[in-house]
Amino acid sequence: MSIDALIIAFVTWFVICYFIVLNGGYLMLNLLAIFSLRRRGEERILDDLPQAYSGLEPPISLLVPAYNEASTIASSVRSMLQLQYSEMEIIVINDGSRDDTLQVLKDEFGLLPFPEAYRVQIETKPINGIFRSTRYPNLRVIDKVNGGKADSLNAGINASRYPLFCGVDADSILQRDSLQKVVKPFLHDPTVVATGGTVRVANGCDVRGGFLTSVGLPRNIWALFQVVEYLRAFLFGRLGWSAINGMLIISGAFGVFRKEAVILAGGYRPKTIGEDMELVVRMHRVLRERRQPYRIEFVPEPVCWTEAPEDRATLRNQRIRWQRGLSESLSSNWGLMFSRNGGVPGWFAFPFMVLFEWLGPLVELGGYVFMIIAFALDWISWGAAGIFLFVAIGLGIMLSASGLLLEEMSFQIYPKGRHLAWLGLIVIIENFGYRQLNSYWRLVGLWRWATQKEASWGVMTRKGSWQRK
Amino acid sequence: MSSTLSDPLLAAAFWTGFGALIVTLLLAGEIVNLRMALRRRQRRERNTLAKWRPILNAAVIGEIPDALPHLRRGERTIFLKFWVHLHQSLRGSASAALNEVALRLECDVLARDLLRGRRRAARLLAILALGYLRDRKAWDALQQQAASADSTASLQALWALVQIDRKEAAATMMPSFIKRGDWALSQVVNILQEAREDCAEVLERIIPELSNDRLPRALQLAEALRADLPPAMQAVLLRHEEIAVLAAALRIVSSPAVADDVRAHAAHADWRVRVQAAKALGRIGGREDVATLLRLLNDPEWWVRYRAAQALAELPFLGRAALERMRDEAADRYAADMLTQVMAEKEMA
Repeated sequence: MSIDALIIAFVTWFVICYFIVLNGGYLMLNLLAIFSLRRRGEERILDDLPQAYSGLEPPISLLVPAYNEASTIASSVRSMLQLQYSEMEIIVINDGSRDDTLQVLKDEFGLLPFPEAYRVQIETKPINGIFRSTRYPNLRVIDKVNGGKADSLNAGINASRYPLFCGVDADSILQRDSLQKVVKPFLHDPTVVATGGTVRVANGCDVRGGFLTSVGLPRNIWALFQVVEYLRAFLFGRLGWSAINGMLIISGAFGVFRKEAVILAGGYRPKTIGEDMELVVRMHRVLRERRQPYRIEFVPEPVCWTEAPEDRATLRNQRIRWQRGLSESLSSNWGLMFSRNGGVPGWFAFPFMVLFEWLGPLVELGGYVFMIIAFALDWISWGAAGIFLFVAIGLGIMLSASGLLLEEMSFQIYPKGRHLAWLGLIVIIENFGYRQLNSYWRLVGLWRWATQKEASWGVMTRKGSWQRK
Repeated sequence: MSSTLSDPLLAAAFWTGFGALIVTLLLAGEIVNLRMALRRRQRRERNTLAKWRPILNAAVIGEIPDALPHLRRGERTIFLKFWVHLHQSLRGSASAALNEVALRLECDVLARDLLRGRRRAARLLAILALGYLRDRKAWDALQQQAASADSTASLQALWALVQIDRKEAAATMMPSFIKRGDWALSQVVNILQEAREDCAEVLERIIPELSNDRLPRALQLAEALRADLPPAMQAVLLRHEEIAVLAAALRIVSSPAVADDVRAHAAHADWRVRVQAAKALGRIGGREDVATLLRLLNDPEWWVRYRAAQALAELPFLGRAALERMRDEAADRYAADMLTQVMAEKEMA
């Protein structure tokens, strides 16, 4: 066999084996998630009963970073004030907004300057002032010089009074019992340092008074693709890793952290795009280095809903940013990989992320391009090219279908038969173009990370057409 | 195609893809099956509730029918779930009437059967039902559940035992309340609220015998249940060497008789002790403690300064003018800032 033929054979097999191992890994996560969901399903009788408080639940500080959110901030804060929890405070951090965010907050909530003895535990950009609501004693607003989302969260941590804090995006739609659900692991296990909940796509749903009132599917095809993606990412991606304490991501849209552990790890890293993931990976690394027992848990119940982009350009930007965030999180915590006390995060989760999430777009797109070129130049037979597509697309559909199965086994959020039929259809058609496009966007993200362009608050075009007053 | 498949690696890839296709079809079948099962379950629930809701609603207002319909096998779990739900929001005669209906339908027997079964969800439902029924016959089985490693089932069993006999539950289960770290303290306290006095008696008896690692949780429990431990016991605990025990002991201090022990801890090396000492002085302190609290106001730890300022602001004999004077005379800027903050908080409250 000639050298050329050997190279072609090697690349062909590398690509095919990569797809098989990648999907095999996800399949294992899927099995772990099934076990986890079954056990939770058995306890549903208890979840359905009204919850009582003893007053001993750990109090929570809700941190809401806001940058140019004048149009939505008042309704977001109002809905957060209605969350059911025994003791909480809300701290909105106005990160040097250029619009009227601060003025809206002052007018809506009767803010007055408050002479707070501000405690610097993590360095941040300077604070211009701290305000407290005259109507809601548990609402404070920090006005600070612009420094990005991570810097805002750090300022919120400094001002927070409670042992747990919850980072919430200003545009997140929570459920009244979201905090109750996501804080549960902290109650049962003192070693829990962070929990995250399932985030779902709000497009197509009915939202009134800041809360979700009925679930539906979006009509927009981009948003529909994302519904299936979120099912896959949260229901078996995170739940599977959580079962073996290897979860590396907690969504910035809604996650609860033990403040002490976050400060120990150094707080959020400023100038980072994926500050949520970077913090979690760093917490793993630091706590593992210190040999401190800890758990980072995932709560599969849907606790947070978010508006997904409905146009290609916004979605593209979002995915590019996510990939850059992933790159930053992994590259700044290489020490975790294969470290002596790395455990599941260091020996499995981190390498899995590097191989399949970080470098994934390169191999996936490279694989497709190689197969097309190799077929066009007659390096490989049509049969081999066909088998490549058959395996890649077949396994992709199988994984998405398993995400849908987990949803049907557990929460059955989408009530109508036609919802299920639509999702079934999307599970198939997303594999013919959308996933490949997504890989391309992620590859662009990887490139931009490699060329090190400066990070900033992301611009997200939100329509909010599903939201009613 | 056949020549392609003669290559073993390509054949393996092909069969992997084929396997994925088959699994996908099976998954699709299972999804449809689950959805149909959901529809059937919803239909059965609707029919069962249509039959039993009027009867239970009538029972709640004291109109239990003389003859009750037969509780069919397929209706049992749905009925029991609905019955438990109703119970959750009812007390007194309405609750007794629900129990009467359930006993006439032999739900106690059903629940005991479910408790013996292997299905965890059914066992959890049975535990709740037996608790509401105050079923003495299930005591031993519930105690077994309460001792199991399953945190959720054991905690629910504890609740059921308290419903059946709060005094005996407090006496027999207290070591478990303290030992089991997997039982969330907030939930234990919720369950024990109804047995508060019984628990206080038991706690007072067993605290002197507890080891250092068990004491903090026992003291947290005492604090949450507002169990007033005798001053002599408080004094002994305040001389403990363990930081966690000391901090927990300071939290339950309620008697001025131990004020000297509390004052001694205001200069403790560990800030977690100093912060609790400041809080305790706010509760039991007098004029002689102002100087100690002013000293704590200069503490390097933010929380100690904050609690000291709060304690000063809570002292009934110190008015706003006195606090302002203290602030103006404070040599330390951090102390002055903290007093300013606490005065503003008090004003806005």
